[in-house]
Amino acid sequence: MLAQFTLKRRGSAVASEVDTEAVESAGKRTLLSAEPGKTYIVKEINTDDDEMNSFLFRLGCYVGEPITLVSKKKKSCIVVIKDGRYNLDNLLSEAIII
Amino acid sequence: MRIAFAGNPNSGKTTMYNALTGRSEKVGNWGGVTVGSKEYKLKKEFAGDKEVIAVDLPGAYSMSPFTPEEGITSEYVRTANPDAIVNIVDATNLSRSLFFTTQLLELGIPVVVALNKTDINEKEGTKIDAEKLSQKLGCPVFKTVSTENKGLSEMIAKAISLAGTIQTAPYLQADINLHDKAAVDAEDRKRYSFVNDIVAEVETRKVKSAESTTADKIDAALTFPIVGILVFAAVMFGVFWISQTWLGPLVADWLVGWIETFQGWVAGQLENSPAILSALLADGIVGGVGAVVGFLPLVMVMYFLIALLEDCGYMARVSAVMDPIFKRVGLSGKSVIPVVIGTGCGIPAIMACRTIRDERERRATSMLTTFIPCGAKIPVIALFAGAFFSGAGWVSTLCYFFGLVLIFLGALLIKAITGYKYRKSFFIMELPKWKAPSLKFAFKSMMERAKAYIVKAATIILICNTVVQIMQTFDWHFHVVEEGAENTSILASIASPFAILLIPLGFGVWQLAAAAITGFIAKENVVGTLAVVYGLTAFIDTEELAMTGGANTVAMTMGLTSVTALAYLFFNLYTPPCFAAIGAMNSEMKSKGWLWGAIGLQLCTGYTVAFLINQFGTLFTEGHFAAGFVPGLIAEACMVAAVILIGKRVRSHFDEQYELHRKVVKEGAAA
Repeated sequence: MLAQFTLKRRGSAVASEVDTEAVESAGKRTLLSAEPGKTYIVKEINTDDDEMNSFLFRLGCYVGEPITLVSKKKKSCIVVIKDGRYNLDNLLSEAIII
Repeated sequence: MRIAFAGNPNSGKTTMYNALTGRSEKVGNWGGVTVGSKEYKLKKEFAGDKEVIAVDLPGAYSMSPFTPEEGITSEYVRTANPDAIVNIVDATNLSRSLFFTTQLLELGIPVVVALNKTDINEKEGTKIDAEKLSQKLGCPVFKTVSTENKGLSEMIAKAISLAGTIQTAPYLQADINLHDKAAVDAEDRKRYSFVNDIVAEVETRKVKSAESTTADKIDAALTFPIVGILVFAAVMFGVFWISQTWLGPLVADWLVGWIETFQGWVAGQLENSPAILSALLADGIVGGVGAVVGFLPLVMVMYFLIALLEDCGYMARVSAVMDPIFKRVGLSGKSVIPVVIGTGCGIPAIMACRTIRDERERRATSMLTTFIPCGAKIPVIALFAGAFFSGAGWVSTLCYFFGLVLIFLGALLIKAITGYKYRKSFFIMELPKWKAPSLKFAFKSMMERAKAYIVKAATIILICNTVVQIMQTFDWHFHVVEEGAENTSILASIASPFAILLIPLGFGVWQLAAAAITGFIAKENVVGTLAVVYGLTAFIDTEELAMTGGANTVAMTMGLTSVTALAYLFFNLYTPPCFAAIGAMNSEMKSKGWLWGAIGLQLCTGYTVAFLINQFGTLFTEGHFAAGFVPGLIAEACMVAAVILIGKRVRSHFDEQYELHRKVVKEGAAA
């Protein structure tokens, strides 16, 4: 429900970009294997660190919410969560399952 | 009456606070600039006849703290009972900000929402229906632009008029067991969906946030490993070059001329007075303080440039690009911010460590950040560069670069002593929107700093110089020390024992020891004291330098070679910072063990660096080791032994803890 709602807000253009196939096919695909420019839905967040999980939650990064990969580097990446841009290291990207 | 300013990080709280109170607290375009609460009364034009105190708080994403500075905010709004809360909302990220807003609204304290940064929204074509938002939230909403003072007076007037009333919350958390994680999570999700519903109704966006923009391309380049680091190195080099080689000295020369004229005038006025008085006033006070003030332009230019950097949004990108490197030595990308701030002053730099979440990383950063020479050390660097190295620009660059190297080495040492990583160290940093840096803010920040510098020169430095002057003029029987018997003065007899320790470093004379010791009170004192004990003034006379090519009076009087001068300079740069900075370290580390560890590490570092430079420098230039090689080597061996001993102790303790932790995990897995 939540996911549908937020997608609506972001407009159909972005919604169609969601790579549903990729999300469905891979059992545990993390943000590490995401492609730049695409928007994904967060399926699971598992940092092994409750505080970190809830911190991500407060930024708007939680199950059912969209997350867009803007660019990717060897050890980090830039993502859009809600209306903000963040730099994440790979350790964190690995914990975000899409 | 107290009004608290709360909101997400980098929403513009401090900028608004400064505009309303007339203060100039530190602002910057990244999350986590403010790390402690500050309060001051509102300007008359906003408060009227009432006495209204504004309280600026660190940014927080919610009421449950993640980093130490977030805790200050939730603690304050929960327990200090402010009469009203101004919730500053970043209008460019409404959907995230309102989560905290709904929590604030539950407290019962009247809340006024300031939709800040609306100018950016206008530029991007994002529309927010403030009236509807106000209806939905059940509190007044004002559109503001705090950098341009727009909408502030209406907003604050409303907040003042609401004080004492009771806020009704649009969304109340259900009565759940707060220890039940699942229930809390479910509640938070409900809250977010409530927020999302509101945002969907009040906000229309022309540009979708997820769309790629030119700024994204810049970010991608700046956070790209090699490119980003080279850009950062170039930027910092530019800052040092402009402030310390080009523009700074240009202004400084002009200023020194005036100071000399003034000193001459004072000496002229005192012509018929006793010689002691003349020496005390003209040489001691005016000369010593003047020597310090003469370097003010270098510091000011530096502050101006750093303020521009902080204002445009570059800092977040730097910390993103440096994170992998810093992580390798056991620090965090966020450690870069204290390092850059530390080029100005070590105290705010140490305080800025509060935004680092991991305790070990936080303590290690606050321990190491002062290896970067601060503004107070600029006079010391400039004096030595001018007197011994013909004012060469490479000296100051070397000092900063070497400071950075020491930070890395120190971090590796701390990593080795405290053992392997026991907790995953995640890195997440918001990349704020770029903005054109405000020259006005940079100018204000520079003037603020200049004021502080002059005040310091006129108080602490002045007092120290006077005391030093008196101590060197008299002996223990309070007789004036005769010429040729300077070693009997009070100062000489106190500093001499320390000087013995410094012989292996190449500068074992009491004058230099005394200057280094007064440096712990304030680093500018090194210059002031040298000026007093050697009766030197007007250090950076470039014309004279050009003629004598470095072997000028200053260098001759001190009796140092280039090698020992460099050793002495580095000794002063990398030994512990001033007492004020040590105090800041104490309050950030919250551990006596770490504090003493830090002081010990810094003392050993300064000593070792100076020792190596002196001994090997002399070996290269003169073909033999300098005096005191063996005693110095013994001292170094003791230091190494101490480090190994401490490391062993910390590690054994650490293994115990880790073992315990593993057992719990195993049991948990079994169950």
